Amino acid sequence: MPLTRREFLKVTGVGLAAGSLGMLGFGASGVAQAAAVRPFKLAHTTETRNTCTYCSVACGILIYSMGDRAKNALSNIIHIEGDPDHPVNRGTLCPKGSALLDIVHAPTRLKAPRYRKPGGTEFEEVSWDFALDRIARLMKEDRDKHFITQNAAGTTVNRWTSTGMLAASASSNETAYLTWKVARSLGMVVFDNQARV
Amino acid sequence: MKQAEAPPDASWSGPSHAGVKSPSPIVTPDPALRFAATAARLDQLAAGHPMEPWLRFVARLSRAQHAVATTLAPAAILSAADVTRATEARLPPLAADGHPRAPSWREALTTLLNHISVEPDSPVGANTPVGANTSVGANTPVGANTPVGADSSAKNLHETPLPPATLNAITQLRTSDTTTLETLANNFLRGHIPLSDTAATIFIVAALQVYFTGSAARLAASDLRLLEERALCPCCGSPSVAGIITATGLIPGTRYLYCSMCSTAWNHTRAVCVTCGGTRKVSLQGIEGDPGVVKVEACADCHTYSKLLYQVRDTQVDPYADDLASYGLDLMVSEEGFARHAPNPLLLTGDSEEDIG
Repeated sequence: MPLTRREFLKVTGVGLAAGSLGMLGFGASGVAQAAAVRPFKLAHTTETRNTCTYCSVACGILIYSMGDRAKNALSNIIHIEGDPDHPVNRGTLCPKGSALLDIVHAPTRLKAPRYRKPGGTEFEEVSWDFALDRIARLMKEDRDKHFITQNAAGTTVNRWTSTGMLAASASSNETAYLTWKVARSLGMVVFDNQARV
Repeated sequence: MKQAEAPPDASWSGPSHAGVKSPSPIVTPDPALRFAATAARLDQLAAGHPMEPWLRFVARLSRAQHAVATTLAPAAILSAADVTRATEARLPPLAADGHPRAPSWREALTTLLNHISVEPDSPVGANTPVGANTSVGANTPVGANTPVGADSSAKNLHETPLPPATLNAITQLRTSDTTTLETLANNFLRGHIPLSDTAATIFIVAALQVYFTGSAARLAASDLRLLEERALCPCCGSPSVAGIITATGLIPGTRYLYCSMCSTAWNHTRAVCVTCGGTRKVSLQGIEGDPGVVKVEACADCHTYSKLLYQVRDTQVDPYADDLASYGLDLMVSEEGFARHAPNPLLLTGDSEEDIG
């Protein structure tokens, strides 16, 4: 027995007269239906699987956006819900996850690095180059000052406890591996990322 | 305290079950409800619908199917060993185009033709859904509930005589011998339907639906296994008519595809093309400004679409009835260049020169 009844898949052009409607004497119904839909347009939505950004539980979510990615320039997220097929949460979301649509559209959402000068009162937008250079510089200074090579008993520990890192959820194995390597190779111990889960 | 267990001093208002459960993969049909529900829903949808005469006819056909399904049981009985052998090979145990049909399906056809050709005024015409979905007033607008007893007279007003073409098809089947009927059934199940048989095929389909639904109902869902080809029914290997996005049950929001032949429902991952399994170019399309009960999931990779019915938008949604009543959406989506994943066997379409189906 063929598993796929491929013949069923080739139904294409809707031949009203030739189909069940026409042959049974209900052709007028088909014509009326075709006329009835003429004034209407199709609305396109895209459903996209993603992972909640909040915590390392990494619940599956379905994101609905207007338009299909191919045709429309405007693509606006209109709804987010739990993914019922995701084995972690089976469609459920916590209150934070349920409010994801609001952080997507929040006017205060952070979209670029911002910097407040020492003694300054306002944040200003800066370039990624500036931000990364500045972070690297401060990390280096802090590490040089506070790196602990040996504990009180004289055992070598090589730990850096004055700076911590909280990394993202929804990481792949590779991302988790690299995050781990970067943070631990600096001696950082105040550290959490999804590899823990 | 275990996760999601009731705390000792307060009543738990969350889910009744602990932890995260997976949805039942397969739900076998209930022949006592299946056709009555479709008939009731069709009557409900038909009022004021552009295809009202057609929907009323299919409602009448579904009522005849219900009468057959509840009076005689023309079903195949599979041994447990047969079911195990098929599921272990990842094959559908009741393979619609493979298994040796019990001759009783022709008995179903004869009874069905008797029921459908009886004109509405006579007593058999009133042999309408009893017990199933009685809360749905069949001829009332959506939302209005009347007792079922009150609508039998109203229903007769809508049941117009059958068109001559339909009556011819019934006569053709009544005078056909066993071999012809078996050929018609085999042709349909294998997807080759000559143009001249299109009208007769609808009654063959109706009888086969009763036969396969009755047969599937004898199987236990726990004995069945999803096929590797997830688009096909795990029970009889036929394609689905539509998918329902559930609003109730253990995991609301899961998609169940409903088999076009045996009415078995099976779980299928959402936002995945039913035909090709692609996820990249799948888009949801619906008629702008409608209540959003029916949408199609169209895949720009394989250029096919399948229907989705949102139970959360209408709790009375029925995969078979709503699929037929949303034929307008099919027309609009085919104009965009998409082909249907698989036809509803009660509404075959085709080009005039070629075979249907």
